[in-house]
Amino acid sequence: MSEVVKPQGKLMAMLSPVSNFHLESSETCLSILAAVLRRKGEKDVVILSKGHSAPAFYVMLHEMGLLSDEELYSFADIDGLPSHVMRGLPFIEVSSGSLGQGLSVANGIALAKRIDGEEGRIYVILGDGELDEGQVWEAAMTAAHHRLENVIAIVDRNYFQLTGKTEEILNKEPIAEKWRAFGWEVIEVPNREEEIEKALERAEEIKGRPKVVIVRWEG
Amino acid sequence: MIESFREAFGRALVELGKENEKIVVVDADVKSSTKTVYFERAFPERFVQVGISEQDMVSTAAGLAIAGKIPVVSAFAAFLMRAWEQIRNTVARDNLNVKLIPTHSGFSDHMDGSSHQCLEDIALMRVLPNMTVVVPADAPSVPVLLKEVVEHEGPVYMRLGRDHAPRVYERPELELGRASVLREGSDVLLVANGVMVSVALEVAKALEERNVEAGVIDMHTVKPLDEKTLVRMARKVNTVITMEEHSVYGGLGGAVAEVLSERLPRRVIRIGTTDFGRSSRDYFALLKRYGLTADAVVRRIEGVI
Repeated sequence: MSEVVKPQGKLMAMLSPVSNFHLESSETCLSILAAVLRRKGEKDVVILSKGHSAPAFYVMLHEMGLLSDEELYSFADIDGLPSHVMRGLPFIEVSSGSLGQGLSVANGIALAKRIDGEEGRIYVILGDGELDEGQVWEAAMTAAHHRLENVIAIVDRNYFQLTGKTEEILNKEPIAEKWRAFGWEVIEVPNREEEIEKALERAEEIKGRPKVVIVRWEG
Repeated sequence: MIESFREAFGRALVELGKENEKIVVVDADVKSSTKTVYFERAFPERFVQVGISEQDMVSTAAGLAIAGKIPVVSAFAAFLMRAWEQIRNTVARDNLNVKLIPTHSGFSDHMDGSSHQCLEDIALMRVLPNMTVVVPADAPSVPVLLKEVVEHEGPVYMRLGRDHAPRVYERPELELGRASVLREGSDVLLVANGVMVSVALEVAKALEERNVEAGVIDMHTVKPLDEKTLVRMARKVNTVITMEEHSVYGGLGGAVAEVLSERLPRRVIRIGTTDFGRSSRDYFALLKRYGLTADAVVRRIEGVI
């Protein structure tokens, strides 16, 4: 089936038996993951801080031939794929599922690389709802203070969080200004794979500070 | 001789830093209190400052561990607990090689009062899968156990007090997970850790004068608990007394009671706290108030045996 069904179709097929578990959050994350995984080099690290977008990640692995149909459709089954990403899966360095920790972990990896004189970017995919977590801003300060230019955060700005629209739950805007005020370089793009990839490319040219790509959903 | 836990820790960390280049220290703006400032001076390139943010500190340490470092995280025990969920969901769940070494545990931060005193941490850490929990008895124990902690692969919580560390050992030979038997005794068994080991030795002496022979164990590793030694020593007695500068709920007393109730039923009297602390200019006044001095423990034991 992998030859004919598009990623969105796979997502829906894998999530229909589990009450559409985080379907929207996974849909908006597909293009981000596709761009990041295509861009990712051997020394780069990807952290899916919004771990509930695991279904999108599994669809990407399936697209890459790293998961079989059977594995994909074992999502959230007792011995199947975990509902939130876990360390040990391809590309997954750290388990998530608890929001707000991924950026701090990315900083730690970046600091270790600096100590060792190693290269490599650390991509951290955050949800816009996740920005409610105070730890994100603690980590944003740490990354800026230490000038962690290898850290590239990507915010999936899809305007939805668990119980409703982001602006109704807790106002997020102005997101770009917030990151800028914390010492980050900000790039804003619509949620299209090629645009996201270009933004990641642009981000690499900016040195001396961490970068965030805010990916706005226009669906 | 009274020494300081945090001084012993700060100095031992520098010595280990010389031997092991993988050690990286992460601080949340308490380096002069925890004495990791010595490590910063010796190895500034392996010292990471994250500001007053314990949650960020723990998750940053997780990243360092993922990248192959041996991160040492130090803070006041009470405030490290605000990162419990980070410790649970990232450090323990992924079995990451992060060393959590808080100071100022128990009542040792006497002046600062109940917000700063930490009487719940052992329970909180003991419940986590993969986590090793260690409570050194005195200053000479600190470098010995710290070396073991750093060499152990996996997350460890090593709980330290602040400055009051009465000498128990001259040349401690300690091993993670192996209880240290300080005294044999067939009437009653005292199982203690941290500062309470020195108190247990005083209690044993006082009991000897009353013709009661007390065995004393330094149970410096609370998890994994040395069940073999505990059961062997408990077999000789009817009553086991646990002594800790921590809540009786879920700490050393809880651990000992759990094991004995399954393997060798004995009466277990847990000596520790059941309440929050309070401010005090004097550390000993607090120990006295909460029944953790030798006199108070002896009276308690006389009441039950």
